[in-house]
Amino acid sequence: MAAARKALRISQVGLRGVVGRGLTAAHVIDFASAFGTFVEPGRPVLIGRDPRASGAMLREGVVAGLMACGHDVVDLGIASSPVIQHAIRRYDAAGGISISASHNTAEWNALRFFGPKGTYLSTAEANELLDIYHLRKFALKEWDAVGTLRADDAAIDPYLDALAAVFDLPSLRQLQVVVDCCNGTSSLILKRMNERFGFDFILINERPDGRNFAHNPAISSDTIAQQLAPLMKPLGADVGFQFDVDSDRVGIATRSGHAVSEEMVFPLIADHMLPRSAGKLVITNLSSTALLEHVVQPHGGRVLRVPVGRQATIDALAHYRSDQVALAGEGTGAVMMSQFEFIYDGIASMLAILSMLVERGRPLDEILAHYPRFYMKKAEAPLTSPRIPELLTALQQEYSDGVANVQDGLRVDWPDHWFHVRVSQTEPILRIICEQRDHPPTNVFDNLMERVREMV
Amino acid sequence: MARQHLLKIGVSGIRGVVGEFLTPGLACAFGQAFGTYVGRGVVLVGRDTRRTGPMLQHAVQCGLLAAGCEVVDLGVLPTPSIQMYTAATRARGGIALTASHNPSEYNALKLFNGQGLFFNHYERGELIDLYHQSEFYEARNEEIRGVRRDYESAQKLHVRRVLRYVDTGLVRARKFRVALDSVNGAGSIMSPGFLSESLGCDVAAINVDPTQPFPREAEPKPETLGDIAALVRERGCDAGFAQDPDGDRLAVIDENGRVLDNDDVLALAVEAVLEKVPGDVVVNLTTSSCVDDIAERFGRKVHRTPVGEANVVDKIQAVNAAIGGEGSSGGIIFPAVHLCRDSYSGMALFLHRMASTGLTMSELAGRLPRYYRGSGKVAYEHGRLGALMLNLEASFSDARMDRSDGLKLIWPDRWIHVRASNTEPLLRFSAEAKSEEAMEGLYREVESRLK
Repeated sequence: MAAARKALRISQVGLRGVVGRGLTAAHVIDFASAFGTFVEPGRPVLIGRDPRASGAMLREGVVAGLMACGHDVVDLGIASSPVIQHAIRRYDAAGGISISASHNTAEWNALRFFGPKGTYLSTAEANELLDIYHLRKFALKEWDAVGTLRADDAAIDPYLDALAAVFDLPSLRQLQVVVDCCNGTSSLILKRMNERFGFDFILINERPDGRNFAHNPAISSDTIAQQLAPLMKPLGADVGFQFDVDSDRVGIATRSGHAVSEEMVFPLIADHMLPRSAGKLVITNLSSTALLEHVVQPHGGRVLRVPVGRQATIDALAHYRSDQVALAGEGTGAVMMSQFEFIYDGIASMLAILSMLVERGRPLDEILAHYPRFYMKKAEAPLTSPRIPELLTALQQEYSDGVANVQDGLRVDWPDHWFHVRVSQTEPILRIICEQRDHPPTNVFDNLMERVREMV
Repeated sequence: MARQHLLKIGVSGIRGVVGEFLTPGLACAFGQAFGTYVGRGVVLVGRDTRRTGPMLQHAVQCGLLAAGCEVVDLGVLPTPSIQMYTAATRARGGIALTASHNPSEYNALKLFNGQGLFFNHYERGELIDLYHQSEFYEARNEEIRGVRRDYESAQKLHVRRVLRYVDTGLVRARKFRVALDSVNGAGSIMSPGFLSESLGCDVAAINVDPTQPFPREAEPKPETLGDIAALVRERGCDAGFAQDPDGDRLAVIDENGRVLDNDDVLALAVEAVLEKVPGDVVVNLTTSSCVDDIAERFGRKVHRTPVGEANVVDKIQAVNAAIGGEGSSGGIIFPAVHLCRDSYSGMALFLHRMASTGLTMSELAGRLPRYYRGSGKVAYEHGRLGALMLNLEASFSDARMDRSDGLKLIWPDRWIHVRASNTEPLLRFSAEAKSEEAMEGLYREVESRLK
């Protein structure tokens, strides 16, 4: 039998891989030591993990690497990434590490790094961390300066306090809510929320499980349609939500049992939160739905489109004052708000949508029906041709009647439709995406795919 | 300038100064090599009280979990307790994070097999090869087990094992007043209760705070035990016991506050055990002839081995001995309790011996055959070792020779043992004779021939 393909990715986003098939204990120790060297000395570093079984191994390595670099470590145990990020601010910590492969399947795991305010590392910072990692020049301390470890298993309450300061939580009690926790960290938060605020949220797949998730944890309407959506009518629920394993993304099901596209999460939140935010700028990537512009403009907002990938969004955020930007997000169900100093947070996103339902007094199906309908079509082509730049140039000439954007591949916009062709950052493929208002973009898509096939 | 030996990866495991030399990466890789070697099953991990212990423990546990082992964290625990509990629970193996008697800046991994014994020669060789080859077992998510905590069971088992071999009623009735110095090490938690609750002693304890650094040199030898010796005198104690940081070595102080010679401590333990248990005695080549005199009295044989706990243990196993140890380093191995150096067996044996004979510690020591001992070291130039040894052999052709570990030259009333250090370019030598003059004469003669 051929050796199993290894899966390991070390990038600006951090360390990610299949444990035992690429991602090893040595990577974890070295990366934690690099981070311990990178962050400011003298302040603690916070860590937490999702329930994956391999998290126990990664945790030991992370603790050892940080302590060896002289940091006192505060372990929040099984905790979502947003809970860790909030706690970093509260502790005035040097930074934090989330041990979680988030929306990846159970065999994956990852280390994700946060800076002193619980924020994501900028590209410059991430590059510095990678340099330290690659050079293995770690600031390992002498025996009498090695750090200590302590546990804090009460980080959820202060996190909920922060959410309750922005959302009127008691008013949400009137809604009947079902949540699919996908065996992840959201169940701990939601159970506590039920206790503290008298909610009666019904939780499914709520047992944190390290080996088997009930379904693929990536947020997609396909997954929602399989388990959560069919439960909506029998349970008489007003709305349903699905979280990924570290609770930074959310998906939605409506009362009628409709699995809402993950593309809709951001426009919905923007519609509710933009009037409540000081800033008017909304940052998203070039591949997300044009509904966002439609929703944002009436509120006096402006959409800034940046290349696909979290790092581009984070770097774009750094170009503005925090009071200029209202929200940033992607079509994956990941949204961050100025109110929480820009942390991707599925729970906060859920609360925004619930607040919207209470405020409007209308079911989600009706709110969605009120928006113009945008139809999206996606395809991918193998990256077999070296002629990608030629292809993109040819396409730009061919579609010169539209408005071209070449920040990340090629996006061309017309008043009622657009397409985006780009090289994937994670796989050797070309991603093609088309969207059109009111009708499926069949002609545009077929025409575009024909051109692409001619070239690759 | 002398070479510095701040990291040693070799057949005895991994030992070094934490920071630049002994890193979490090395500890993790060694943990994963160990887990790969012993197989996916339970591995116990404990440590002494060194500041770097928790960091290294997490690193080792990371490697063990990555190899698919289930880890039981035993917390701060004497090395002999870890060894016993490994054997008793049928774990795949055990690891103690302790640099034993080395100073605070050092730490090390001591490795035990499923019988709770130090890895033997072959096991050590295989493990070190595995480590260097870096072909570790890589467990996948579904194979990764967790870390379980058990801070109580191993202590209880250890105390129970030791108490099986003493008449606790007899000892308790005497209500001995005993001084204790655990060097703020792994014994700090277990020893006070062992002496007071289990053996009914009135305990005057110093240095039993496991959160504090070592207050004295970690190795329990006469020069470093002034505080407990003073405590014995001040409080009128019947005896004083001093441990090393991981609780395997023991120093004994008599009721006058005199620290007993390590060889005499072992001889007393041998005497106490042979009185009750059948079997031979195993000691290393450097241990005093005093042991031979005692064994002769009981009609038992003394087997000599190269220096090193593992060598003594191997031989004890091979000849099914009653007792063994290494005189020079304060290690008493009482195999009925476990095949390891154990300060607790020593404390129990001595208290029992005082109770059963009605003699004081100084009286017991005073009855031992009297030998005069001296030891020293000489630096040698690289490449000259063989010539030095041959010269010694030629100069003392009238002596009986044992070449199993360096060179031991033996006459009926005296001996000298010369061996090269494993860690430094030094020749260490020990001499012993029936009279002080004979010892000093021998010492000087050998010293002059080594220069």
